[in-house]
Amino acid sequence: MDLITQNLLTILILLPTVGAIGAIVYQAVTKTDSHQKWIALVVTLLNFAISLLLFTRGVPAIGGFEFEQNVPWISAIHTNFHVGVDGLSFWLVLLTTFIMPLSVLCAWTAVEKKKTAFYASLLLLESAMLGVFVTLDLLVFYLFFEASLIPMFLLIGVWGGKNRIYAAVKFFIFTAVGSLLMLVAIIALYYIYAGAMHGTGSFDFVEILAAMQSGKLVLGSEAGMLLFFAFALAFAIKVPIFPVHTWLPDAHTEAPTAGSVILAAILLKMGTYGLMRFNFAFFPDQARETAWIFIILAVIGIIYGALVAMVQPDWKRLIAYTSVAHMGFVVLGMFSFTELGMQGAVYQMLNHGVSTGALFILVGFAYERRHTREITEYGGLANVMPNYAAIFIITTMSSIGLPFLNGFVGEFLIMVGMFKSSILNVTDTTNWNYVAAMAAGIGVILAAVYLLWLVQRVFFGKVTHAENKKLTDLNAREIGIMIPLLVAMVVMGVYPRPFLERTDRAIKTIEARVMKSAGGAVEKTELDTKALENR
Amino acid sequence: MSNFLLAQLTTPNADVTVILPEIVIAVAGIVVMLYDSFFPKQRAVSGAIGMAGILVSAVLLVSMWGDTFSGTAWSGMIAHDNLRLSFGLVFLMIAAMTILASTLWVEIEGVPVGEYHAILLFATFGMMMMAAGNDLVVIFLGLETSSIATYVMAGLRKGDLRSNESALKYFVLGSFASAFLLYGMALVYGATGTTNIPLIAASVGAAKFPALLLIGSAMMIVGFGFKVALAPFHVWTPDVYEGAPAPITGFMAAGPKAAAFSSFLRVFVLGFPLVAGAEAAGLLHETWISLLAVLGIITILFGNVAAILQNNIKRMLAYSSIAHAGYATVGFVGAGLAKTAAERNEAIAAVAFYLFVYAITNLGAFAVVSLLGQRNDRRADFEDYNGIGFKAPLLSFSLSVFMLSLLGMPLTAGFIGKVLVFRPALESGNVLLVTLVVVAVIGSAISAYYYLRLLVVMFFRERAVEWTPPRVPSPLTTAIAAAVIAVLYFGIFSNGLIRKFSGTTPQAAEVRAER
Repeated sequence: MDLITQNLLTILILLPTVGAIGAIVYQAVTKTDSHQKWIALVVTLLNFAISLLLFTRGVPAIGGFEFEQNVPWISAIHTNFHVGVDGLSFWLVLLTTFIMPLSVLCAWTAVEKKKTAFYASLLLLESAMLGVFVTLDLLVFYLFFEASLIPMFLLIGVWGGKNRIYAAVKFFIFTAVGSLLMLVAIIALYYIYAGAMHGTGSFDFVEILAAMQSGKLVLGSEAGMLLFFAFALAFAIKVPIFPVHTWLPDAHTEAPTAGSVILAAILLKMGTYGLMRFNFAFFPDQARETAWIFIILAVIGIIYGALVAMVQPDWKRLIAYTSVAHMGFVVLGMFSFTELGMQGAVYQMLNHGVSTGALFILVGFAYERRHTREITEYGGLANVMPNYAAIFIITTMSSIGLPFLNGFVGEFLIMVGMFKSSILNVTDTTNWNYVAAMAAGIGVILAAVYLLWLVQRVFFGKVTHAENKKLTDLNAREIGIMIPLLVAMVVMGVYPRPFLERTDRAIKTIEARVMKSAGGAVEKTELDTKALENR
Repeated sequence: MSNFLLAQLTTPNADVTVILPEIVIAVAGIVVMLYDSFFPKQRAVSGAIGMAGILVSAVLLVSMWGDTFSGTAWSGMIAHDNLRLSFGLVFLMIAAMTILASTLWVEIEGVPVGEYHAILLFATFGMMMMAAGNDLVVIFLGLETSSIATYVMAGLRKGDLRSNESALKYFVLGSFASAFLLYGMALVYGATGTTNIPLIAASVGAAKFPALLLIGSAMMIVGFGFKVALAPFHVWTPDVYEGAPAPITGFMAAGPKAAAFSSFLRVFVLGFPLVAGAEAAGLLHETWISLLAVLGIITILFGNVAAILQNNIKRMLAYSSIAHAGYATVGFVGAGLAKTAAERNEAIAAVAFYLFVYAITNLGAFAVVSLLGQRNDRRADFEDYNGIGFKAPLLSFSLSVFMLSLLGMPLTAGFIGKVLVFRPALESGNVLLVTLVVVAVIGSAISAYYYLRLLVVMFFRERAVEWTPPRVPSPLTTAIAAAVIAVLYFGIFSNGLIRKFSGTTPQAAEVRAER
């Protein structure tokens, strides 16, 4: 057991890769690809079970990490395989291991061709994503960040819809452009560190941060800004923040269901996670100075995403645009630089993973039955598929942000955080934070409009198309996929405290780092989780 | 001066053991030739002799690594340092891969095998001499030996018009470039009074005719620029690469290019260093650094943009090889600006590692292309690869790994190579060099399009006509498998090799780290 807990994160990263190799070997030996889904399911479930061991240790100290491991990788360039989890990454790791078995299950019957390659890609993707969330070495982080591209590229390109090639290439090029500039920034940071410390450079997040906090490493304002934007661009494309979001609707729509689920639930979080982990910690001044840009873009994203979603004739594309809006909320919360807002942002990342992931799975169910995504092809489904309708509506409510479901907590925290934020204070009397918070509020209303309208068009009324009359309701496997997600939605909506407690310390550290270096007083917004529960 | 020469004459320093690896290769070439003329029927043997020679030579090279470097041998004509050893190993690997990869092609096309293998070994000998040459004359002799052999190889497919065109073009333009190089060397000799590179380095500070030095070095940049295919001296590349048979193209894109880089590095980084307090040397240093940086920028942009437009895979790889020469240049100028000897060695090792990785990846890719291309490389357009991904999964997987490594994706050796060559350039903090790195990165992003295009056609498209995967002979399997394993292995465990190339013992590195 000790062996497992000591190498926990390494095991989490490697196990899916081993599973992928196993699936390929199995194909090579037996010449059959009908059992690979079982391999994938067992491996992802096992990984989820192992990831639960994360709970065995408490919240790490300020600036510290649990389950840390630091092994030299290429000592010629001083890069180490350094992993660890803190409050920021804790739930994201669990989210990843939680979503993966579900996406394997939702591909169970949908994927009919080249199954070995499909499940191998899925498993490799899990390795890469877990690597992104736990790595504390910048070069290794970049490595996983880029490595996640290839499996996703294949998932979209091979098993995607009609326009899959365009979508896959667009997805790849958009993300690769951003991340390559980040690579330059990472190497530059290495030498800035070397220069500041009069020694060898470092790719280590903890070391660089320590040098910055102790004042040994001071970035010039120009260099700092360039580096900040090099990192921010890579992450902004991933999130995606308006106006670099255009790859997302294509990728989401064309990807197979499992791909869309992973893309929405986990891959997008790599962007927001990266912003919080690296941009805020390394470049607090620049983050504060440019916060207004990100807030404006986030608000545009919220409103724009909602408006475009409203007019989509394509069911899946509609949900894809809701991602633009919801991720806008996350960015808004992050850049409020208040504890509440940032807590809300992290919470909203998880919410979005659960709710939007669930929505994509549900769309996939309908698509498997009818092979169309046109909303007008449906209508009155509640009559023929009552269970499906019920589950879909609950998920919709969670996505809209109905109280007692998860979406509410995140959006509420973000809006309160933005309202209290001092980041947009131009002078003492003029501040724009109210405007931003209210604009976000409009976004919530719009979300209700487009999602409820969707529900109305798809589920209510009479069955208008004859083909829809003989549709079967969800089977046991499909309900089995949805139950964990529904439970998560309710638990996270009713009892957010354990979630917030885990992230609390990490968020406070980031907030202190960003706001204290302003030299001004830190606005103390104690998070009262009890009050939240009693709301 | 005369005393100096006299002293050398009286004690001829002819240490054969130092150049034993080179001699072994040359002897192997001669043996192959003789064997072929006496036993013309047993053709497979000549390849085996070649491989054996390469193996022995590689073992000798590796065994020399532990030596405490004496620095030079043969009266300063032969350098004995990490630059020579690491590049030598790269050339041997290239030769071995080429022999393995061309077995099928040799059979189909009815190439005179013995001559082919002999010429290949002579070319390798020439390349090794280029890396080992510590004297402009030795370097030039090595360059001509390898070039002439390569001209012949490009035209080996005698019946094919394109192959002949390729050889002739390469020959005419190559000779032209050699002339430039030689003239440049003569001018440098005129300015410094010596052809020995360390002596040149010692005397650039007090060069008699600084103008001669500048013109001479500029001409040498033209000459070497041609050989490594830097824009605007690259125009021969696409035609020659497309016309030559695929295994030879792979060899040309890897071998002579790496060899030219090895001498290019030695002459410029070691021969024209920054000398404190000397105005002429400072000007020379600044000029060649800026010139190469600008050439690098043009090369990267041009190579990548032109590669996008290609529909023929061999041509695409030709343009991509231009772009890769540009990336290697990034490390090269980084080495030129290094402040300490250790940093310089690291930068040189980075270029060697980069070219090693590029060579192995490229040779692997050309092996697959030549296998799928059939006779005369007829099937080398993107369309010919439609939908073969799941029909020949291993071949397509290998080709994909090569493309991703060329693109510089993490977990492949190409990524480590790129990080290594970008590092020294960024370390210098020089604005032009930082621009160069940013351009290189943008170039990599552009290259994603055409490298991925191959993955797209192989895996995402459907094949309209019937297609059966070709039979893969075992030497070719060995070559491709070795390349794939090397690309993935060095993508993760590159530490040992980098250390070997840069000559830092682990202890020394730790001491530096502690400091």
